[in-house]
Amino acid sequence: MSQVGNILRLSFRDYTHEWRMSGCFVLALAAVLAPMMILFGLKFGIVSSMIYELVENPVNREIRPIGSGRYDPQWIDRYGDRDDVEFIIPKTRTLAASIQLKSDQSKRILSTELMATAEHDPLLANLASTPQNLFEIILSRGAARKLNLSRGDQVDASLARQFKGKRERVHLNLEVINIADALLTSRSVAFVHLDLLLATEYFKDGRSVPELGWSGDAVDGKSRSYPSFRLYARSIYDVENLVKSLEGQGVRVKANAAEIATVQSIERNLSIIFWIVACVGATGFAFSLGASLWGNVDRKKRDLSILRLLGFSSRRIVLFPVMQSLYTATLGWLLAVLVYLSFEQIINRFLAPRLKLDQTLCYLISDHFFWAFGLTIVTAIFAAIIGGIRAAEIEPSDGLRDI
Amino acid sequence: MSATVYSLKNVVKQRIIENAGFRLCIPSLEIQAGENIAIVGHSGCGKSTLLDMLALILCPDTTDQFEISPVDARSDNIDILWQQKNQDRLAQVRRQHIGYVLQSGGLLPYLTVRENIELPRKLLQLADDDSISSISRVLGIHRQLDKLPGLLSAGERQRAAFARALSHRPSILLADEPTAALDPITARKIMAVVMELIKGLKITLITASHDWAHVYKMELRILDQEAGPIEQGRIYQSTFRD
Repeated sequence: MSQVGNILRLSFRDYTHEWRMSGCFVLALAAVLAPMMILFGLKFGIVSSMIYELVENPVNREIRPIGSGRYDPQWIDRYGDRDDVEFIIPKTRTLAASIQLKSDQSKRILSTELMATAEHDPLLANLASTPQNLFEIILSRGAARKLNLSRGDQVDASLARQFKGKRERVHLNLEVINIADALLTSRSVAFVHLDLLLATEYFKDGRSVPELGWSGDAVDGKSRSYPSFRLYARSIYDVENLVKSLEGQGVRVKANAAEIATVQSIERNLSIIFWIVACVGATGFAFSLGASLWGNVDRKKRDLSILRLLGFSSRRIVLFPVMQSLYTATLGWLLAVLVYLSFEQIINRFLAPRLKLDQTLCYLISDHFFWAFGLTIVTAIFAAIIGGIRAAEIEPSDGLRDI
Repeated sequence: MSATVYSLKNVVKQRIIENAGFRLCIPSLEIQAGENIAIVGHSGCGKSTLLDMLALILCPDTTDQFEISPVDARSDNIDILWQQKNQDRLAQVRRQHIGYVLQSGGLLPYLTVRENIELPRKLLQLADDDSISSISRVLGIHRQLDKLPGLLSAGERQRAAFARALSHRPSILLADEPTAALDPITARKIMAVVMELIKGLKITLITASHDWAHVYKMELRILDQEAGPIEQGRIYQSTFRD
């Protein structure tokens, strides 16, 4: 076995032989590292939960125009092509966007808000598909519950209008292809293909809809414009820019920009606080470990002098305290992880419910654990250099005479 | 004619400890291969300092000549190695050619007796053979090989220290007051065994001692320290007396 191999073996044997002293070093490191991990876990957990709620709820990415406008299909398409826009779809007049639904499973007739939808609609992201034609419908959970409908059921949709002095009503048989998530809206909403939404507006305006056999005045051939739209930014961080872009075009809009800015500010401030605490803690730990290693090398001067006497070179002797520092760093990190995981469970399982918080308060991802390990090793090596220099400077003759 | 193992001329080392100290002067010292040398003198006259310089772990202050020529190995000019701060070469010479026994043994407390004895052989990457068991049997510690040094008596520790110093067959054995911590009967037994052992292995023995009972058969080199009251700041000179 080479000198290096022998030094590794001897350093480990000495480390385990003095398990009490080694244990104290490990405990000291864990006592510094575990609270820092818990602090970071709280910061990451709380902020991540807040951001997750903002991000996951598409309503927070919605930008709604205030009042009515005139948005032609080309304008809609142009905004749909932007990288920071996830989804945009036109809306008709509010008064025209309603339909009455009736099912065989319920006695009631439900007046339901109509919303156009298409593929990639964030509100329906969890669903396999969206209505592909005039005869498919997705109901909100509230509407489905009131009508006692499930996926695959048929529902009778009807519209009424006053046309040339006569009251007219048309019926349409629609298939419920899915039920939307309960968290999206508590209102009774029906998501339909844009063509069906336009058809209901035409019907109520006295126009004909030949595809559905609804009579009326012919729709003029001019390209139409839409009074409003439903737009979602790709991420909450794109909302601000999009609002500026729309307002720059004279479109007054409403968005959750203030709430997003608040969360971003909290995240920034917590990060600053954490890194200040982490830097102070790491610096203190590095010097503390370095001083301990220095003292440890002095304590082991006799043994290190014997190793020099037996023929180990001073360069190899430096590895002795360096390796012991790495053992301390590894074991201290492991213990800190165990302590952290215990506290994480306590905080999330016992504390959060008591505070009536249904979010995860404290957690770390696996990357964080590896980063913590890496930083601990780097700090330990830095501290070990101090001990290593001391070990190399030992005059074996002086060390032996302490016997 | 035996080869010269150590050749020293005008080697001087001064040591100051808490405002008092001594200057060790070696005008001339030649040790032949196979000799048994005892360095004697009063306590504090520099015996251990001389042994440390011979063990290549203490750098002399000035020297006209300091050479080591182990049997069947190349010579080294130690003065030049110290000037060049060639620690690697100094460590190599120690590893290959020198065995050292300290007053209290100097065993590593976290290794068993067997592992302590094997360590010099492992450093030289020597193959395992029965030399450990034969040396330990001769020295009477074959039953203690798997114990930690803390469980041994002082005599057993000293025997183990000799075994470690001899396990790699060095050509030079240095021993600093090896029997000082032992009772006279144990000391005599150990030294008798060791002397027989090194005679068979043709090892050059240099021991520092003021125990006349054990060194009377060896060639004496007497370190004389100048007389006078102990004074703060005074450096006492120690020189070999012919």
